[in-house]
Amino acid sequence: METSVQLPTVPAAASHEAVEDLRLGQVPLRQTVELVSIDLPPHHAEPLLERGLLPGCRICPIRSSPGGDPIISIDGSLLALRKETAACLCVRILEQFQDAG
Amino acid sequence: MPEPRAFSEGALGDRGASGTTAQDTARRPIVALIGPPNSGKTTLFNQLTGLRQKVANYPGVTVEKKVGKVAFPDGRELDLVDLPGVHGFSARTLDERVTRDVLEGRVEGVRAPDALVLIVDSTRLENQLMLVEPVLELELPTLLVLNMSDELEERGGWVDDGPLEERLGVKVVRTSARTGSGVDKVREFLAADVTVLEPGRSTQPRTLTNVPRGVALPMVDAFTARRARVREVVEEAGFRPPGPSALSERVDHVLLHRVWGPLVFLAVVVLVFESIFTWAVPLMDGVDLAVGASGSWLTSTLADTWFRSLLVDGVWAGVGSVVIFLPQILVLFFFLGVLEDSGYMARAAVIADRMMYRVGLQGRAFLPLLSGYACAVPAILAARTVEDERDRLATIFVTPFMTCSARLPVYALLIAAFIPAEPFFGPIGKRAAALFGLYGLGIVAAIGTAFLLKRTLLKAEPMAFLMELPPYRIPSLRSLGLRLLDRSGIFLKRVGKVIFTVSIVLWTLTQFPRTELGPPLIEDSALATIGHVIEPAIAPLGFDWKVGVGLVTSLAAREVIVGTLGTIYGVEASGDESFELQDALAEAMTPAAAIGLLIFFAFALQCMSTVAVMRRETGGWKWPVLQFTYMLLLAYVGAFVAVRVF
Repeated sequence: METSVQLPTVPAAASHEAVEDLRLGQVPLRQTVELVSIDLPPHHAEPLLERGLLPGCRICPIRSSPGGDPIISIDGSLLALRKETAACLCVRILEQFQDAG
Repeated sequence: MPEPRAFSEGALGDRGASGTTAQDTARRPIVALIGPPNSGKTTLFNQLTGLRQKVANYPGVTVEKKVGKVAFPDGRELDLVDLPGVHGFSARTLDERVTRDVLEGRVEGVRAPDALVLIVDSTRLENQLMLVEPVLELELPTLLVLNMSDELEERGGWVDDGPLEERLGVKVVRTSARTGSGVDKVREFLAADVTVLEPGRSTQPRTLTNVPRGVALPMVDAFTARRARVREVVEEAGFRPPGPSALSERVDHVLLHRVWGPLVFLAVVVLVFESIFTWAVPLMDGVDLAVGASGSWLTSTLADTWFRSLLVDGVWAGVGSVVIFLPQILVLFFFLGVLEDSGYMARAAVIADRMMYRVGLQGRAFLPLLSGYACAVPAILAARTVEDERDRLATIFVTPFMTCSARLPVYALLIAAFIPAEPFFGPIGKRAAALFGLYGLGIVAAIGTAFLLKRTLLKAEPMAFLMELPPYRIPSLRSLGLRLLDRSGIFLKRVGKVIFTVSIVLWTLTQFPRTELGPPLIEDSALATIGHVIEPAIAPLGFDWKVGVGLVTSLAAREVIVGTLGTIYGVEASGDESFELQDALAEAMTPAAAIGLLIFFAFALQCMSTVAVMRRETGGWKWPVLQFTYMLLLAYVGAFVAVRVF
């Protein structure tokens, strides 16, 4: 039995105004960020969630693929995304990682 | 290890229980091996059972359900089921559905497992443990295997298994499936803690989902809450994630470089082509000789009866025409195996994704489409790595447009017969240009079809493309060898069955109606009658009944038309067969009709093996029938236009 009523976007508390408008696609390489929310319908967000792209996780874009798609480091492994997906990931810069890398 | 292969047909065969008796399966416990892709699940499976199957770095490659027998010194045995690698239980992908169905005991003829072995890559422990909670909800005896623990420590990571055992309430062992360390502890668990559960218990319906049972939370919150619990557990276990693999960093710097990346990618594609079309040729010639020689030997040994004719002209010729592709497929799979096991294939998929995305496919489709240049059958099987169901169907649908090597003999014959060996442009001759044109035609048709499909039947918003990039590893020859054996076995079994049947049917059609002297001349046979029946339909393409017969026989495999035309035009098999056949064809057909025939072959799905494998992979006749009709229509229109243009 399906129990959940799924909301269109991410944490119930974070209204759209509150979400910072920085997207993963705009983050420079080697800048560690924290994922704030995923601006995708649940069905589309599920594969991301399964691979650990959860609000609160730390992501660091390591390099760009030749086609300009980001390759990120998450939980010590490398994950390639499309830039279209990266544009749906709202993130915030973690101050202590400002000059890391 | 006593015959694991025969065993695999048993408890978990595709059509339910068959080889193993019900009594047998009832007595033996079933243990399911679960884990995310690339966690080393298949390697552990091989270590435990001795049954071999594909091992690779390419995420999602283990799709076939595999069962192996684990035997203990005291004579007891149990069945180990190797489930596909999954990231979760959303049942969004084929792999996840298979896994969920097996675990829930919903696969016909397969009992739900009595115990579980969950294997995770300890270098990515926190993320991978997300699978634990849904698995524990099944309330079965469970062993948690922390694989690649050697790599974790090499790269400066750490985890303590004691607290993990305590918090999760399951046994935990550390292994390195690659070196085999710790595997004996898994065996100990299987020997000591696994028994057949009472029927009521193991068959009670369970549901596996990503969202915990009875919790009414939005999905993201459910995931986040689960992640928080997992984090608490791993923190308690002192988990320290490993540093990045320095070697992989350096290699990626080149292989994913803006300039070098695509160049290496192209070089790899060229290398694979070169291997299929140059290096495999001597081997194929060898197989051809062997089939021919053994056929002649049979002819000379057996008495001249209908049976000899069936065996030599039917079965031998038919099966031989397909077996000849085996060397090519082996060479192809060797190279693809090296690419997968080394970790490059995941990078290639990322590079290809931009291109593929534009036409409505995705990066993972690159591997099956490349394989399609050798043979569509293994390529369609390889399409299982495409996670999204619609993308997978689209990939399967366009794969037969890739110029498979069965088309080459047909192309070679017709081009040699009708296209003069004259310069076309610079150093490129007209014949080479024609061949390139046909390859190009296939690509254009594939792109157009993918584009069309994704806007009609398989219309969907694009799903996120996520590709894990595993660390680079040196492929092991043993694993490559095992895979080649496995793959060639699958190819021969799947294709052999179809070709065997079709060959016998076609042979029978050449034997009737009988005359006083025995079988009729081919122009009087039932096969010729079929040719005459379809002649009105193909007349607008400039084809006569003889070509019609060739089109019918080529349904077995495309290149069979060469042999058929040879027989019909009464060319004696004198060794110069194709040379004489060219002359005969040049007289019998107009050049325009020949170009029409070339285009017909570029498009039409003249391959029953492909149809059969499509039916299997799409789970019904809908897609193969649709595809056969679509490609036939395209072929007909293409040939129709060509005859009028040229």
